[in-house]
Amino acid sequence: MRSLIGAITVSAALLLPLVGAQAFDESKYLNWKGMWDRGGIPPRWVQAGQKAPLTPEYQVLFDKNTADQKAGGHGMEPSWMCLPPGMPRIMNVFEPMEVIITPPTTYLVISHIQDNRRIYTDGRDWPSEIVPTFQGYSIGRWSDTDGDGVYDTLEVETRGMKGPRTYDTSGLPLHLDNKTVVKEKIYGRKNDPNIIINEITTIDNALTGPWTVTKKYFRNTNPRHNWLEEVCAENNPHVRVQNDNYMLSADGLLMPSRKGQKPPDLRYFDKASR
Amino acid sequence: MRIGHSISALALAAALVLAGTAARAFDAAKYPDFGGVWTRAGSGEPRFDPSKPPGRGQEAPLTAEHRTTFEAILQDIAEGGKADLPAYTCLAPGMPMIMNADVPMEIVVFPEITYIMIDHIYESVRRIFTDGRPFPRDAEPAFIGYSIGKWIDTDGDGKYDVLEVETRNFKGPRVYDESGLTLHPDDMSVIKERIYLDKADRNLLHNEVTVIDNGLSRPWTVMKTYTRELTRRTSWREEVCAEVNGHVKIGMEFYKLDPNGYLMPVKRNQGLPDLRHFKE
Repeated sequence: MRSLIGAITVSAALLLPLVGAQAFDESKYLNWKGMWDRGGIPPRWVQAGQKAPLTPEYQVLFDKNTADQKAGGHGMEPSWMCLPPGMPRIMNVFEPMEVIITPPTTYLVISHIQDNRRIYTDGRDWPSEIVPTFQGYSIGRWSDTDGDGVYDTLEVETRGMKGPRTYDTSGLPLHLDNKTVVKEKIYGRKNDPNIIINEITTIDNALTGPWTVTKKYFRNTNPRHNWLEEVCAENNPHVRVQNDNYMLSADGLLMPSRKGQKPPDLRYFDKASR
Repeated sequence: MRIGHSISALALAAALVLAGTAARAFDAAKYPDFGGVWTRAGSGEPRFDPSKPPGRGQEAPLTAEHRTTFEAILQDIAEGGKADLPAYTCLAPGMPMIMNADVPMEIVVFPEITYIMIDHIYESVRRIFTDGRPFPRDAEPAFIGYSIGKWIDTDGDGKYDVLEVETRNFKGPRVYDESGLTLHPDDMSVIKERIYLDKADRNLLHNEVTVIDNGLSRPWTVMKTYTRELTRRTSWREEVCAEVNGHVKIGMEFYKLDPNGYLMPVKRNQGLPDLRHFKE
């Protein structure tokens, strides 16, 4: 029997808007506490034996990105300037993830480049207007697929994204119209509590059809996790000047990012100081 | 009489049986209701001591040496400089600035941990461990530090009402607020907090913050107050510093970018950036 938590969470949301620490029974959810990582799997979207089902137009754009990267550029890849990867790329789980479950919201905390997500499970509908964000607006629903009284599956739909976004560092692009819809089915295995599976379906106008990939996350069983604070801006050697990529040398000075690159135009500086 | 109860035994046991299938229930009635979204009370620009004006008006108990540094920073800012303030390079604000709550913060409480989430410049999540652990020996320094908390039942009614937190293990640069008031670059700060709900108004949260830092001549204590949002929040603003940052740092100098990305000086008569790595 599939039982949804809708009734409980809607009433909680309506009756308890002022109350944050509502008593809730954590035993009704699978225990996903702790640190989850990729288990050494590379943070790539295209998996072995797969080819991205891009439209011809976006295959051309991807090929262009690839060529630019080979020439020392970045193509459409946004993370070099510390822009968030956004959805669905977040779910590559580049850095370890923490899953924080409360009845109204499940939080996915990933200290990478603003990868944190809030998945609302309070029974809300889509807001009439969504301010676009890289990670999008996520609504989820818990289900107890085997009727044992424990929610084991979180189904999530995410909309309202902005870009540019790519699936990974390869520059594999999502459509620039940002009309992506991402559906996830996140579930655990009762016989192996240290694995979370995420079946992710991306619906995007750069694709010829919905594209489903499956990710696995593995629990770090050390109870005293060492959470690292990754601040992209701290060690980023890339700077963007005049919409061109330059790099900073070890001593912080501007340097070219590719052979033959000219220095930036210094038109605003007093001629006397040149 | 103050009766201190740490929750260590229960929570530590829970942490050690982490791999169990189902999570456990916890008695939320034992904890004060810190949950929800909180906005800093008061008006004016966010500052460390909300009861005083920013900048020199904070009357920070600085050491003579650190006061000299502060005055030099104020002078640089007056001339258009950025004084290496971390916000201009999108560095995380860290502690204690993050608790100025420039933007609303969300708090989630579990017996073994309290999370404070603030998306300002950098999407910071403070983890305040309340499972009885000691400070680790091998944690990487962080702008937000490493926080250990202890729940206290101050009036002996069987319910926790105060969360005492100590935070150590920092890296920098860190500032108290954006006025240019910096913490000591040795990053040896220790920050203590007492977080509790107002007895008369449960939608007010107080945070008594004490900073012990080698840039100060004595511990500096301020009181911060946050107001709980009374309606369910339907959305959160995503603040991406790198998307809107109009400054770059080249060498030890800051420069502005015009709307087309051209480099501009931030100060009158600022020299050219050093372009020695470009061939003529």
